[in-house]
Amino acid sequence: MPPRCHLIPWNRPLLPQAVTWLAAGWPGDRPLDLAKQLIVVPTRQAGRRLREALAAYAAQHGQAVFPPRVVTPETLVTLGAPADGSATHSESRLAWAEVLRAARPEDFRAVFPRDPPARDFAWARRLADQLMRLQATLAETAFRIGDVPRGAGGDFPETERWVQLAELERRYDAALARRGRCDAQAAKIAWAGREKPWPVGVEKITILATPDPLPLAVRVLEQLAVRGSVEVVMFGDDEKMFDQWGRPPPDAWARRDWGRLDFEQRVHLCASPSEQAGHIVALAKKYATPEGVLALGVGDGEVLAPLEGALSRAGVAAFNPAGQLRQRDALYALLVALADFAREDSLAHATALARCPDVLAWIEIRARGGDFSPARVLVELDVLHARHLPPTLSAAQGQCTKHDGESAGKFPAAGFALDALAGLRVTLTHGEFPANAAAALAEIFAGQRIETDAPLAESAAAWRETLRETGEALEKFPGVTRAEGWELALEAFAAATHADEKPAGALELNGWLELLWEDAPHLVVAGLNDGSVPDAVVGEMFLPEALRGRLGLKTNAMRFARDAYLLAALTAWRGGGAGRLDVLVGKASAAGDPLRPSRLLLQCADEALPARVKFLFREIEVAQASLPWARAWRLRPKRIAPPEKISVTALRDWLACPFRFYLKHVLRMEHVAPEKAELDAMDFGTLLHAALQAMGEDEALRDCTDEATLRTGLLAVFERRARAQFGSELPLPLVVQLASARQRLAASARVQARERAAGWRIERVEWKFECVLGRIAVRGKIDRIDRHVVTGARRVLDYKTSDTASSPEHAHLGPISDAVRPPWTRVTVSGRERAWLDLQLPLYRRAVTAEFGMEVACGYFNLPKAAGETAVVLWDGLNASMQSAAEECAKQAACAIAAGEFWPPVESGGRDEGEWAELFHHGAAASVEWPEPASSGMETESQKVEGGGP
Amino acid sequence: MKQIGHVMILASAGSGKTYALTNRYIALLAGGAAPERIVALTFTRKAAGEFFDEILKKLADAAADPGAAEKLARQISGRDEAEDKQRAVPHSGTPGPADFMRLLRAVVDAMPRLGLGTLDSFFARVVRNFPLELGLGGEFALLEGAAAQVARRRTLARLFTATAGGPGAAQREFIEAFKRATFGAEEKQLTGKLDAFLDAHAETFLDAPRAECWGEARRIWPDGNAWLAAVGRREAAAQALHAALPWETLGDKPRARLENFFVALPEWSPGAPLPPPVEYLVGNAFKVWDELRAGRADLTLERKKVSLAPPACAALITLVSAIAGAELARRLEMTRGIYDVVQGYEAVYHDAVRRCGRLTFADVTRLLQPVALACDTGEEPKAKGAGEEGGRLLIDWRLDAQFDHWLLDEFQDTSFAQWSVLRNLIDEAVQDAEGRRTFFYVGDVKQAIFAWREGDARLFREIFNHYNAAAPEAIAEEHLTSSWRSGPAVIAMVNRVLGDEAALRRLLPLAVAARWSHEWRAHTSARVQLGGYAELRHADDEEGRFAATLNILRETEPRARGLTAAVLVQKNDTAARLADYLRREGGLAAVAESDLHVATDNPLTCALLALLRAAAHPGDTFAQAHLRMTPLGTALAAAGLGSPDSLTRRVLSELHTVGVAATLEHWLRALEPALAANDEFSRTRGQQLVELAREFDEGGRRDVAEFLAMAEAHTVRDADAAGTVRVMTVHKAKGLGFDLVILPDLEGQSLAQRRNGLAVHKNAEREVEWILDLPAKIFREHDPVLAAHVAGEEGDAAYEELCKLYVAMTRAKRAMYVVTEPRKASAQSNNFPKLLLETLGEEWSTGDARWFDAVARAKEPGVGTQEPRAGDRVLEPLQGVPGVARLVARRPSGEKRSTVDGAALFALAAGGSAEFGLAVHALLAEVEWGGAGGGVPEIGAGKLEAAWRARGEDTAAREVALGCLRAPALTGVWARPDTRAEVWRERGFEVVLDGQWVTGIFDRVVIERAADGRALGATVFDFKTDAVPDPARHAGQMRLYQQAAARLLGLPGSAVRAELVFTATRARMELAW
Ligand code: SF4
Repeated sequence: MPPRCHLIPWNRPLLPQAVTWLAAGWPGDRPLDLAKQLIVVPTRQAGRRLREALAAYAAQHGQAVFPPRVVTPETLVTLGAPADGSATHSESRLAWAEVLRAARPEDFRAVFPRDPPARDFAWARRLADQLMRLQATLAETAFRIGDVPRGAGGDFPETERWVQLAELERRYDAALARRGRCDAQAAKIAWAGREKPWPVGVEKITILATPDPLPLAVRVLEQLAVRGSVEVVMFGDDEKMFDQWGRPPPDAWARRDWGRLDFEQRVHLCASPSEQAGHIVALAKKYATPEGVLALGVGDGEVLAPLEGALSRAGVAAFNPAGQLRQRDALYALLVALADFAREDSLAHATALARCPDVLAWIEIRARGGDFSPARVLVELDVLHARHLPPTLSAAQGQCTKHDGESAGKFPAAGFALDALAGLRVTLTHGEFPANAAAALAEIFAGQRIETDAPLAESAAAWRETLRETGEALEKFPGVTRAEGWELALEAFAAATHADEKPAGALELNGWLELLWEDAPHLVVAGLNDGSVPDAVVGEMFLPEALRGRLGLKTNAMRFARDAYLLAALTAWRGGGAGRLDVLVGKASAAGDPLRPSRLLLQCADEALPARVKFLFREIEVAQASLPWARAWRLRPKRIAPPEKISVTALRDWLACPFRFYLKHVLRMEHVAPEKAELDAMDFGTLLHAALQAMGEDEALRDCTDEATLRTGLLAVFERRARAQFGSELPLPLVVQLASARQRLAASARVQARERAAGWRIERVEWKFECVLGRIAVRGKIDRIDRHVVTGARRVLDYKTSDTASSPEHAHLGPISDAVRPPWTRVTVSGRERAWLDLQLPLYRRAVTAEFGMEVACGYFNLPKAAGETAVVLWDGLNASMQSAAEECAKQAACAIAAGEFWPPVESGGRDEGEWAELFHHGAAASVEWPEPASSGMETESQKVEGGGP
Repeated sequence: MKQIGHVMILASAGSGKTYALTNRYIALLAGGAAPERIVALTFTRKAAGEFFDEILKKLADAAADPGAAEKLARQISGRDEAEDKQRAVPHSGTPGPADFMRLLRAVVDAMPRLGLGTLDSFFARVVRNFPLELGLGGEFALLEGAAAQVARRRTLARLFTATAGGPGAAQREFIEAFKRATFGAEEKQLTGKLDAFLDAHAETFLDAPRAECWGEARRIWPDGNAWLAAVGRREAAAQALHAALPWETLGDKPRARLENFFVALPEWSPGAPLPPPVEYLVGNAFKVWDELRAGRADLTLERKKVSLAPPACAALITLVSAIAGAELARRLEMTRGIYDVVQGYEAVYHDAVRRCGRLTFADVTRLLQPVALACDTGEEPKAKGAGEEGGRLLIDWRLDAQFDHWLLDEFQDTSFAQWSVLRNLIDEAVQDAEGRRTFFYVGDVKQAIFAWREGDARLFREIFNHYNAAAPEAIAEEHLTSSWRSGPAVIAMVNRVLGDEAALRRLLPLAVAARWSHEWRAHTSARVQLGGYAELRHADDEEGRFAATLNILRETEPRARGLTAAVLVQKNDTAARLADYLRREGGLAAVAESDLHVATDNPLTCALLALLRAAAHPGDTFAQAHLRMTPLGTALAAAGLGSPDSLTRRVLSELHTVGVAATLEHWLRALEPALAANDEFSRTRGQQLVELAREFDEGGRRDVAEFLAMAEAHTVRDADAAGTVRVMTVHKAKGLGFDLVILPDLEGQSLAQRRNGLAVHKNAEREVEWILDLPAKIFREHDPVLAAHVAGEEGDAAYEELCKLYVAMTRAKRAMYVVTEPRKASAQSNNFPKLLLETLGEEWSTGDARWFDAVARAKEPGVGTQEPRAGDRVLEPLQGVPGVARLVARRPSGEKRSTVDGAALFALAAGGSAEFGLAVHALLAEVEWGGAGGGVPEIGAGKLEAAWRARGEDTAAREVALGCLRAPALTGVWARPDTRAEVWRERGFEVVLDGQWVTGIFDRVVIERAADGRALGATVFDFKTDAVPDPARHAGQMRLYQQAAARLLGLPGSAVRAELVFTATRARMELAW
């Protein structure tokens, strides 16, 4: 018995007509009872809108509704099917993975012409997903892989490949069968093909404006139509434009003009997704209450994100009925951190976990209040990392619990947190997955009261469900590691979606296929671009279009017909004052790649085509020329009192730039480097210095002239220090760096032996001094002071560990820069004017003259990377006049510092360098509002809050 | 119409390449080719898009207008107008508007199937369809831009991960290799060094993955190398030389030279620079090498000739050879070390990235290398070359397309690897016996500026020769030399500088000059009416060149005249400085056409990033202090977030719950009052950062450091802004044209300058023969093999530099100004200024110096910036049409409000309750009425239980359900009040209450009815399976149920009672309001 067909005319909206059609004959004095009807609608959102409209319709009569059973074609297929026995998604994945890994590629050369790269679990899982998608697509038409060779016909060029795929599928079925399971798609196909009774309690089945039902659903309907009353309701103007199941056939729609739209008025070409979003937001804001009048459709998914962003910025509530991926749930980030932490013992994973607020809160609970400070924990973890680079959690714990050495007692908060995390890791890594994963989370959240309707509770329930499903599957397929189990569960969770309730008054962001049921008079469809609407499959590794056609799967022509129908249906009633359809067409993607307008827009009579093509393919200018750079504000650093003491080396910074000196040495601005993976220059130098210092302090080594003994001595100290600081588990860069350090020390032993043999004896090491320059105390520490055993001459040496050997003169004097600096920062050297870059050696020399007189030499002991250049380099040119110029410069600089002279900054020319680039844009001075004179803006260190509006 | 054959077009700049290409495409269509059988490939997606738009526009014009149709028909047939006019009757078969309409329709219909795009995307499409055939695991994802960078960083991190007990064997090997690769130059900063190292060498490795190409002496010097043979004889030769030198005859200075030499020699280790005394002697020895070999030589030392006797000659030769040999040996070893390092890295990368299905475009091209890509035309596959495996791919089947016609654009930029992928397919087209398939390629070997990206301009001619050798005149050669872009003045300068063969021969290696001149054709301008101007100017130094640029812009006022203007330079960094100069000194609107770091180039976003940093890393005093200097600091203080603890707590939890984008948006709103009302720029930057964050959030990540890294690397290409002076590199300007072009940055080194890096020697088939980290200049100059190689590289470099100059000079439409520094007398290098001097002389200009006067000033400043576009209407709201009221949905089941312990939320066992509850509900719903004296229905508990058991119902659920039926306290739930009573079980309803839409399902409603069927009263029962009854939790829901039942039954609320039935405790409880 063919279904009975009805036509709902499309010159008025679908939804209210569908309601009156369903309610026909209802007297209005009792509940509208539709409980005995089964209605098929295209999507869940359509079903939701239908039930809402029914309730509203009944409410007009003061009544309520016993609703019909509303299903989508997908649910219709499995209606009444027994649930048990079908494999879950995880079980299917694991079964495929098992089969794929066990199969020998040489037995399947038509499938794997070359050996797969590595037949590990990750590979098998990915390919399993692909094959499962293939099965799902085939199942739409009641095919399984094994049916393809037959279904594809005789001259099919890939028969052998599909025969082999079918064999893999057979093995997959067997793997499931051994576990008492069968493939869910196969079960669906079997159920759909089975004789089945008319559903209990249903009097009538109606397919309501569903232009694109699954072929499998149509098959079910065909059977049901034999047994009872099945009706098909189409939304259109002509029954002949549909087949008996309400589908628009390709022949009928391939050329149909959807006209009726003032094309150039209603079609808008936009340069970018954000321009499309901008248009829509501007429109939404023009409506007092857009809900119910304005509806949005999004064809190209790329428009969605900017649109959501723009709407939220404009304060327009929006709602995406398609829901959100769980991947964006707050819980997901925590799960990923936990999975990483469970997989690998590394400090990086531990600290990443500690930065999850829930974990931080958990640590706090364990600390039982007191003066627990989460910031303290994170500070110490960063310092611990920067100082010791411990690769693993246990190495890091080791540093925290040290009772001697420099780190002793320095990391109480980090130590506590790491201990807690280590405990958590025990939970995570013992016992079976997923029980251990669940236990760890229960531990983290224990004691927190959580609202049952909080998003977290909802995520947690979904995660629990995922874990259970995965866990059950893993029991059936043992031999999967814990990490792989985590991966499976995380992937399943991430890919799941959830839909929240629509907030009151929110604009819905409908997908293209949802729009048929939309009844708001003003519809704006964004992203009507080819490839999105209509979408098209072009080439496919398993199911190219040609094969789809042969198998009766959905083809591009069918997609096109459906979308052509939809566009026509959206336009049909929105003309002539009853409504409006605006179409936004993207000219380029967010990345700037060109897009093409939808072919649907070119469905028109030949006469109109050239004009449309010219309109749609014209060039457009970017709507908004890029704006000239502008400064949002100038920085307002607080002024605090200058320091009373500075180090000799800080003077160098002041000479380089007084303002940066202020930021670095007065405000003490310093970055932490969480991505640090190796020693920085300072760490490296410190390690070498320590060894050299120990050598200088050792009576025996001081007088040693034997290179080998010196080397052994130096290296012994070095090894001790390095081990104390970095432990025994070294990451690879450290291995290389420490090797480089050893090589430099070995070279220095050779030079030291030579120097000592030449009579230079180390007299002092790490000699501290302090001198008062102007109103400031300047501190310094001289690496070593040598005395010549014969001449009694003395020299002051500083160890330099930069990669290339430096000469003292180069390091201290440089070219005059353009900046206006006081004349005392300059000195004339052999007729050329030079600028002081550094004052270190002259100040060292000055510090020792009181004791040793003026005749002290000074220089560097270079330990560069090229061993051959390791040497003592003295600054012969530092004569008395230069010395006094340097001292004068130091004094003046110290006075300037004391007087708070930190302005203006030295401009670096063009782009600012390194970390300063964060502060300075288009010039350092221009970036800052410097309060002068000092007193006006001066605050003491304790006043924390300052800054302010522009 | 004319038979369509294979064509090669050499198209000079601006000569209408796109025009030729689109005409070709349309000609093919008109000749009957189906659109999806034409493959047209170019290099950028933008170009492909423009190409497609152009085809459609031409067809649309011709379809709409007979005149246009006639013109297009003429163009595609290659006839000119005059030729047509001579004929009295039109060509028979000449397509008219109706034909073009048909073609237009065909192209539109075929849109999704068109093979029109970039080479990269074409290759990706093939790989996507044949992953298993190509040995991939399955689907793949493309790695582009920043993601590729991240992949590398992760690989390095993985390589660096410590394993328990220190580095493993593989890591040790890696370290050893690194040491060998960087002899004598241990770096203390490894990560950066390695990164640069891999940047420099990874691609080379992938092109030549076999070890034997790397540092293998036999491959480099097949006939042996005398230096290497002498390596072991250094000490002996030094002694011999010392002994054989005529010390007694030497003056002081020569003697010192030699003594220094003998002192310095032992200090030198191969691989390091030669100490000056050694370099001096070796250099001078090379100068008299032939004499030394003859056994009698005068060595020059300190301008004194030192005569050497045969023993000294022999010793010197041996010694210098030994030194050179040691250097070569070291370089060979270092080269192999480089190989080992990169190979070690690549092994990890391959495992972690490619195997996981993430490929770069280069990987994709490489993957297709050994494969026979031919279409399956049913013929026997051709014999395959060595190394090819697998059969032909069924391209036409899986790609749903058969490709008959090939159009390749910008062919000079095609790499050999790309060509070798296409070759098989194109071979078939060219060799098609029936001539139904065609090949067409167009480009300009004078614009080959992408050799560093493997562009291989020599292919252009080689392919032509190859095909034409097999079948004479298979491919026709055409030249386009008439510029539709540039006016006569500009063209005159181009011809003068780049067409001067004699000058080129003077300045460049002969082969280069010959190669250039061979393809050179004098240019003409097709736009004579443009007139225009070209001039060479001078300025003293860089500052002066910048100032001259500014002067020209001030003088010509392009913005006021609505003219486009560009300043072309050689480096990005110069572009940035120059744009800054023009803005600062000239107040001009100038943009450096580089990628904008939108997340870090302004105070607003930097403050927001500092906020994230300060929250995640409270020890970052830089970020903390930075925040306090900004209005954001004030906003934070106002929100009570002055302390690190409060900031960390608040911002981290904000980040985790709502994501980075929403967090940033929140603080942006807080900053709004601090922004100037007209500061759209900063607001835009804020939005751009939020958009980036949104993308980051999509991945479900919340890690601040990761986001900061992404933000720092994130760039946005500045939109073509009308009315601004665009400052950009010559490379970026390729393909563009401007009314006015200034070239102020042509200083630099000699044109023939090899690029630093490994020497990679390839044969004619582009196979790598050998790779070597070249020794110092002094050695490589004197080794014929290396010297020849270097000369080849220098020639290529010089050619590419010429191309660069050509591209730069052909961008101008109306006027071009070249600004260089006057050449110093001492200057040696054959650089651009030298070429300009040789060809133009000291001063040169042509055309009308006041060319710009001819261009009317626009009335308003800023014309040409923002004209409202046609069709650019804003969306207007719909007036006077009422909307459809939407109801707010309310779910009774969502009424519960309570809290649970977090541990319970995650306990696996806890999750059972939902399923269990459903099972109990389902069983209870089966009961219509209780039997006599209780809840158990008439059939009896035993039978009911047996039936449930038989159906496999859950045991616990069965027990609970039966317990509820048996419980005396619940009798009233099941009892039938009288025979007229009705019961609803599991009954759904929809109702509107107080304007809200309520959807729900009643568990059980017992309705008492009057004799006439009127409802008298009802009780709504709701079953609760909670372990611990908590009535308050369900009150809201029950209230809705009660109201819904009243509405459905037409009863007043007072007539409907609501009861909770707790199945665990078997208690009922009535709720009252
Ligand atoms: S090289 Fe990479 S892409 Fe190629 S087969 Fe191996 S794993 Fe696959």
